[in-house]
Amino acid sequence: MVEAGAWWTLLAAPGLLLGFAVLAVAGDAVLDARSAGRPVSLATAVRPFLGVPRALVAQPRRMPAPDRLLWRTGVITVPVAAVLSTLVIPFGNHAVADLSVGVVWFNAMEVLTWAGLWLAGWGPNAAFSLIGGYRFLAQGLAYELPLMFALISTATGAESLRVGDIAAAQHGLWYAVWMPVAFAAYLAGVLAFSFLGPFAYPVGRDLAGGVLGETSGVDRLLLQAGRWLWLASGSAMAVPLFLGGGAGPGLPASVWSLVKTLLVLGLLVWVLRRLPMIRADRYVEFAWVVLIPLTIVQVLVPAVVNLNR
Amino acid sequence: MDVTGPALRGTAARPRVLLATLPRGTAVRLAAERLLRLRDWPQVSTPAQADLLLVAGPHCVSLQAALDRLWQDLPAPRARVHARSADEVEDALEAGRARLRSPTVQHEQAAPEEGEQQDGEQRTQEHQEGDQDAPGHAQRDHHGRDRASGRRTADDQADDAHGGHSGGRDQHDAGHRPEAEQGARGDAHDGQEADGHRDDEGHGSNGGHGGGEMEMPAGLPMAEQGEDRDGLTLDQLHVPLGALLTDWPTGLTIRLVLQGDVVQHATLEEPATPVADAAAEPFWVRPWLRAAAGDPVPVGEAVRRRMAAHMDSLGRLLAVAGWPSEVLSARRLRDDLLSGAPRAAVAPRLERFTRRVGFSRTLAWLTRGIGVVTAQDAGEAGVSGPAARAGGDVTDRYRQWLTDIGHDLRRLEESSPLEVAVEESPRGHWSAEHPPSSALIGLLPRLLEGAELAAARLIVASLDPDPDELAARTLEVTHG
Repeated sequence: MVEAGAWWTLLAAPGLLLGFAVLAVAGDAVLDARSAGRPVSLATAVRPFLGVPRALVAQPRRMPAPDRLLWRTGVITVPVAAVLSTLVIPFGNHAVADLSVGVVWFNAMEVLTWAGLWLAGWGPNAAFSLIGGYRFLAQGLAYELPLMFALISTATGAESLRVGDIAAAQHGLWYAVWMPVAFAAYLAGVLAFSFLGPFAYPVGRDLAGGVLGETSGVDRLLLQAGRWLWLASGSAMAVPLFLGGGAGPGLPASVWSLVKTLLVLGLLVWVLRRLPMIRADRYVEFAWVVLIPLTIVQVLVPAVVNLNR
Repeated sequence: MDVTGPALRGTAARPRVLLATLPRGTAVRLAAERLLRLRDWPQVSTPAQADLLLVAGPHCVSLQAALDRLWQDLPAPRARVHARSADEVEDALEAGRARLRSPTVQHEQAAPEEGEQQDGEQRTQEHQEGDQDAPGHAQRDHHGRDRASGRRTADDQADDAHGGHSGGRDQHDAGHRPEAEQGARGDAHDGQEADGHRDDEGHGSNGGHGGGEMEMPAGLPMAEQGEDRDGLTLDQLHVPLGALLTDWPTGLTIRLVLQGDVVQHATLEEPATPVADAAAEPFWVRPWLRAAAGDPVPVGEAVRRRMAAHMDSLGRLLAVAGWPSEVLSARRLRDDLLSGAPRAAVAPRLERFTRRVGFSRTLAWLTRGIGVVTAQDAGEAGVSGPAARAGGDVTDRYRQWLTDIGHDLRRLEESSPLEVAVEESPRGHWSAEHPPSSALIGLLPRLLEGAELAAARLIVASLDPDPDELAARTLEVTHG
């Protein structure tokens, strides 16, 4: 059973999240080095973090007539929402707060990214940045509903919105196994709200970086960190929702949580290199015509199973 | 605690590089991209993200002002270096790194805080490492003062007119932005500043602060409105693409009128050319030029150059399509081909690349139906080469490149002499009067109108004209 509220979890949860995000960045750097034909060593993995001290001394960038308040708000919202989302994610048998509406909390934090990224695109008063912000809204229209139905599938299966209950309700048969469509839609959603890889549309290179194009220094660091923190948070949330949480033979629950989270994270880091950026205008069509009907049918499956029990 | 030193060392250990390629700078760009890849110095696409501005190619007067604007937009710590030929790239990179690492240089370059300006923009004092790059250098302090008071002076305009720089980019912008381009500021690198055309400077004084008729935010004029394709009245943005845009044909400038992100109108500008004494021939067609001049060139060499050119184009297309990991593979293959790697060394990786990219259903789904050029259209426009043979959309064109590369791979070792009339140059049948790229460029305006910005970038990348070929024509005309 998940215990909630121990004081040290408040420190451990963001720390763990940051650790996972750092591992994801390092893993991506190693894969990059391999395809670029550079020798791979430990130094390869830490090179991306050379940018962190740099960001702290970089000159802040100002545009003419920026909306500074909203710009800052947006930039800060993205990583903060990612950290807040971890409050309800149990790691092993511990969670910061095992809310009775945990799934809704996670979803609400994720939707905050919409506002954050849109404001970050709006703030600098620059066309490409603004288009980047709009692009995230278009992308949101495509990924959000399938993601919500995927979350609802698991809640329906467990007859509870409490994340701990969902993890406990799987009894060894993971939801990933009997709700594969929901699992796939969820993982796609994770990449989408991290705006990485195939879902990097709001920060596309064709837009000269879109939302990221006008940010430098700490602003840029916060937005970039937000992306990888969200990827880590989404991977961690996949474990209680679809992979049975900390349940597993032999090892302590926290070790199982760790292993499963790393596997999901590794899978996502690999996938985000294997696909080109998907433009929202094409993805919306696919999402509404194919994904939404499929995920609705997916919600029906646990509903019918539970009614017949 | 001094954090600046370690932070500067961190920056210098892995600088982010903004590579600005000048016309005829292809060879320099290739050398630079190869070194950056091997050193893991990331290439970025806007000045905001960059530490190091690397200018690649022979001196080009008409783009000087655009380069200066890019430099102004780089946040400190920063450095600017210029490599005029491929041999200079390594030294230029080292010089840039040294400058980034040095606290004294960075201190001189850092923007002096003049307090908050009326528009809140932080002043960036100009500091240039090369005097020859900085006309109007001496007047800077004077101008800085003027601008701090928020006024443009006649001096300023004179300064701008001869391609000098104004430290206060905001007033500067307000000054020459009568068409409401202010919204497009973000793409400084994408061209609205980088186009190097200063002909609208004259509007400076009236556009500068709203003309006194209406209160404008930061003195910037509002967007004008126009009918859009759905019969709505929407704001129009004037956004030039080029000439220093990354992953874009070097020197090409297209002026767009955007509503939302839909292109309403596209006009071509005459490509910028380097100073006439530039010895560098257009890189990708060099074997054909040599063969046309009577030198015996083995077919294998020309074929190798053509494969590398297609790989370069594919790398660009993939960069625009947003597939950074495959961009790396494409550029690595291109560099290996150019450095003379034997067939056996590239064949397995080439096959894997073709499988991943050419057979990618996702990429095909994303590029289907965009920028259709039928074989008939191509024929009428005088297009030959892969774009004409593909006769279809963006998907068909990149698959055609891959097919051509597959055929060429078998011919890498052929040593018979190259015949210009028989062997196609990378972009079509070579003729100095009608270089194949000019036909490709001619197709662009019609194809871009009505496309979304993302699609427009894909269309340009899938045709990938090489404006250097046109410069070859003008040179021959003026010298011949």
